[in-house]
Amino acid sequence: MRTSSKNVLAGYHWMAAPAMVFTIGMIGFPIGYAIWLSLSNVPPGGDPVFSGLENYARLVKDPEFWNAFKLTVSLYAMSLSMQLILGTWLGLLLGRSRAAQGLTRVILVSPFMLPPVVVGMMAIVILDPSFGIANWLLAQIGLPPGLWLSDPKTVLFTFAVLDTWQWTPFVALIVMGGYLSLPAEVFEAVELDGATSFQRFWHVTLPLLGPTLVTAAVLRSVDILRFFDVIYLTTQGGPGNSSTTLNILAYRRGFEFFDFGYASAIMITLSAVVFGTVLIFSKLRAAVAW
Amino acid sequence: MVSRNILRALDRIQLTIILAILGIPIVWIFMLAFKSRTEVAALPPKLIFTPTLENFVELFNRNDFLHATINSMIVASGSTVLGIVLGVPAAFAISWHRMSWPATITLFARMAPGTLFLLPWLIMFTKLGLVGSHLVLILTHAAITLPVVIWVLLPYMDALPRELVESAQIDGARQDQILRLVAIPIVSGGMVVAAILSFVFSWNYFVFALVLSGIRTKTAIVASFNFIGEGVTNWGALMAAAVIIALPPLILTLLIQKRLVGGLASGAVKG
Repeated sequence: MRTSSKNVLAGYHWMAAPAMVFTIGMIGFPIGYAIWLSLSNVPPGGDPVFSGLENYARLVKDPEFWNAFKLTVSLYAMSLSMQLILGTWLGLLLGRSRAAQGLTRVILVSPFMLPPVVVGMMAIVILDPSFGIANWLLAQIGLPPGLWLSDPKTVLFTFAVLDTWQWTPFVALIVMGGYLSLPAEVFEAVELDGATSFQRFWHVTLPLLGPTLVTAAVLRSVDILRFFDVIYLTTQGGPGNSSTTLNILAYRRGFEFFDFGYASAIMITLSAVVFGTVLIFSKLRAAVAW
Repeated sequence: MVSRNILRALDRIQLTIILAILGIPIVWIFMLAFKSRTEVAALPPKLIFTPTLENFVELFNRNDFLHATINSMIVASGSTVLGIVLGVPAAFAISWHRMSWPATITLFARMAPGTLFLLPWLIMFTKLGLVGSHLVLILTHAAITLPVVIWVLLPYMDALPRELVESAQIDGARQDQILRLVAIPIVSGGMVVAAILSFVFSWNYFVFALVLSGIRTKTAIVASFNFIGEGVTNWGALMAAAVIIALPPLILTLLIQKRLVGGLASGAVKG
């Protein structure tokens, strides 16, 4: 029997134990296993045999890996920059007009709560080169049709646009929160200085929003670097290899070619890229803090 | 102030354009889902049409889509319950003792690419004979829902008045009673948000079920994916599938949109 005095002294640490055991079993152990697989040669159907850094040596020399790496970085750069720029624009718009209410709010949260698979299905139908509404609309205003996901030159940009459609409101709501929490006196002071609205934005609002933008950038980076569902659903990495990002390459190596060791090496590398990016942003966050 | 009114009008116009770009594609898939076969790919598009349920009838007749939808319900509910059962006490303990490493571990789980765990899981769960079961999907999806529950609940737990817990301790309440009778009633609003977000994230998740589900346990998301090859020639049914899998997240989001937006906005402040 516990006494009440013991109870006061006792900690609640044990209440976190089940969750931690679960996390270590379901996440920690598999990550360790994946690292080991990446250091092994795994013949299909056979047991892994330790092979040192062989998979990583193969990876460094593999043009397919470097192609995937390049595609991951360009998709990331395009998506993130579009989302941050448009998200800042929309976020300030929402903050200024206090518009995130009612139907507006519903429209804003809907895209990023949709299953990515639905975004892919939407893209198949709307961006169909012959029967899609997108090309029909372009034709109405006299613009040439696009091949979108069927053209190796435009496929990656199209994915960036789709992700930007889905996630710009998310960035915007974060920016709006940051903007609304800024001290009002700052704006009053610059107003008196007679600064133009662009000067005000560039020299006052944007620097003050620095930490907010870094927060948004971290959250989006993690997702964009792992971007998978919409690609796998629509092009499966094609046409050719033109949208085979690291995550797609790793998945296909692992689950279509059953090359477990090599696939794990790609996945570990991708994870390192994700964590490295988060780390860089957390340093950056300290630099832009005010 | 004329110029101020003009600026305000400009803001309104920009906002309307953006909202149209965000909203119209969603309205569009709903419209296509209710169009008849001849109208669905017609250009110029028919904006006024007689809605029909034939696409939904076809979808459910041909593809056992109903079964897949039930599977999704089972998996999303199961992983949400598991996430809540494990996550609520954990969030309480993490917040109370300001424990940093468990929070970091769950954050790590949130950031790593899902495909990283998938190969080891496939090997592990094949050995355990669990591949293709509902259980394996519930367990793997709980790896998504648990971090969501903990991170959503932490601010609610942090706001819990410490005196309330301490006075309950002095009154001789057991620890589990303190959690059940003191903490949980106060954070119940946060638990609703956590549960809904967990359900939505689990419902939306694609790749775990793609690899680990069996013919009888396919989720609606995976069934939709399998349907795409066929759906390329049958847009109506494809869009009906899109509507079925989009509706639960959209409806559930309606319930928590205010808190969701508040959470995102305040997250920006605290970072």
